[in-house]
Amino acid sequence: MDLYSLDPTKFVKPGFGVCCRVSATIHSKQASTTDDVRHFRILFISRALCHTDWLMIHSVLKTSRFLNPHREALGLTSVVGDFVCHLALSSMKQINSKVDSSLCTLAPSKEPSIADSVSASGNGTISSMSVQSTPEIEKKFVHHVYDAIAPHFSATRFAKWPKVSSFLSSLPLGSLLLDAGCGNGKYLGLNQDCSFIGCDISPSLIKICSDRGHEVLVADAVNLPYRTGFGDAAISIAVLHHLSTENRRRKAIEELVRVVKKGGHVLITVWAVEQEDTTLITKWTPLPEKYVEEWVGPGSPRARTPSPLPLESIPESEESSTGENIKVCSETNVYRDLEEEKHIKNQQEYFVPWHLPYHRAEISGASAHALAAGLATKDDRKGAVVYNRYYHVFSEGELESLTTGINNARIVDQFFDKSNWCIILEKTA
Amino acid sequence: MRLLTHNMLSSNIKGVVNGFPLRIEAEKVAEKSVEMNREFLKKMFQKVHWKAFVDASRAMGYTELPEKADSSMLNSDEFLNRFHHALLELHLEEGALVCPETGRRFPVNKGIPNMLLPQEEVLLSIIIC
Repeated sequence: MDLYSLDPTKFVKPGFGVCCRVSATIHSKQASTTDDVRHFRILFISRALCHTDWLMIHSVLKTSRFLNPHREALGLTSVVGDFVCHLALSSMKQINSKVDSSLCTLAPSKEPSIADSVSASGNGTISSMSVQSTPEIEKKFVHHVYDAIAPHFSATRFAKWPKVSSFLSSLPLGSLLLDAGCGNGKYLGLNQDCSFIGCDISPSLIKICSDRGHEVLVADAVNLPYRTGFGDAAISIAVLHHLSTENRRRKAIEELVRVVKKGGHVLITVWAVEQEDTTLITKWTPLPEKYVEEWVGPGSPRARTPSPLPLESIPESEESSTGENIKVCSETNVYRDLEEEKHIKNQQEYFVPWHLPYHRAEISGASAHALAAGLATKDDRKGAVVYNRYYHVFSEGELESLTTGINNARIVDQFFDKSNWCIILEKTA
Repeated sequence: MRLLTHNMLSSNIKGVVNGFPLRIEAEKVAEKSVEMNREFLKKMFQKVHWKAFVDASRAMGYTELPEKADSSMLNSDEFLNRFHHALLELHLEEGALVCPETGRRFPVNKGIPNMLLPQEEVLLSIIIC
């Protein structure tokens, strides 16, 4: 792929978003006769080589994203390729990159040069920002999936969990309850005497809530756009297990505590490693070691205790649960069995399949897109498009340990129920 | 989006010191009547930032709220009706919420505010640093 035609006037900047429009010519293998000219939106720019007036561009998005620069669209975006291309751009010095209050603007400027302004920025914002920036694994295997399966997911999610219901009905008359990661909103409005505000990162799920008349918004549970102490209580039901680093899980809890008033309660539930239905786990795909390290990072408990066992020895497909599983085990020696057991116990990072029936998949173009991008597979036998959802299942005591650094909350209750770990916190100051 | 929600929302852009209140750009406002809950209103009165609430209601075209309010006014049915109407019955259907510090616009479409920060903003600040 060649990139050229870099007219500086094609650099545009709507709001604070960085949008560089570049014409690219693709020498398509399929269509060798005609070059396909497309526009791309540049997503990642590093300052490598910028002292030589070269910019390194790591990935670009298709023009559709550019024309529709909303977050919803980005969730469905596929990266065209992780190629590195060099833009020979003598006028690059006109483009100033400025990091101010963590906002970036690429705009023509009087200020010196990229290298100068970039080196003057930073100021230790990296660590705090990286907690808030959504890792690829969550975008691809959580947000994208829920956007694609939203109607089907919602149609199958109506059972209200008694523990959550009793928490909600215990709230005093006139309470304001905040639901972070409300999904299809099945808990919103459950207590008629209270007011509910829900948020979720999936616009498709939020639309379902809104159509049902709930007060909702699109927001990230790791970075709630709420004033401190406004809510009377908060819940986060089956959300934290979709966050892929320990720091992000801890930040999400801190956010829940932050947004409730002093004395307010927070209920958090997450999937447990200890599943009551053990056959369920055999249908899950443990994440390969390299992905755990690459995506989840060294901060995760799993990555700290690497197992020497290769992935192939772990039952990873649904077929494995129907008997082939046993065969595999009988062929391995005792040592391997023990290692495998240990491995499964330590295993906390999984892909959990979601089967979207063909008749539902056809409704949304998202599935076709996902199949093309390799984010979903077809299972003709089941007549479904299979999506993988990323899960970090929680071990015993893990929720509690995440709250240890939070000084202004105490644990009111914690329990295991229906394969979930649950904790109720009270904000003390 | 109700004004109750607006009164809670704050710009969550990293580095923003005071992201509250978000300025409302109203393109389309709807009214949906709901039953009044006095207890809820009395509780909410303690939380609501009154000036932000009055400014927001005016941005939505509703001018019946007094400039200043104190809890003794909660005994007045007329006041409660207006408070109730502005807090829970006015909906911003189309428009935007604007960060008071950065000017960043968060769109509101079909009554749903989108408070996500484009990943470019987050990612670039990491990568460029």
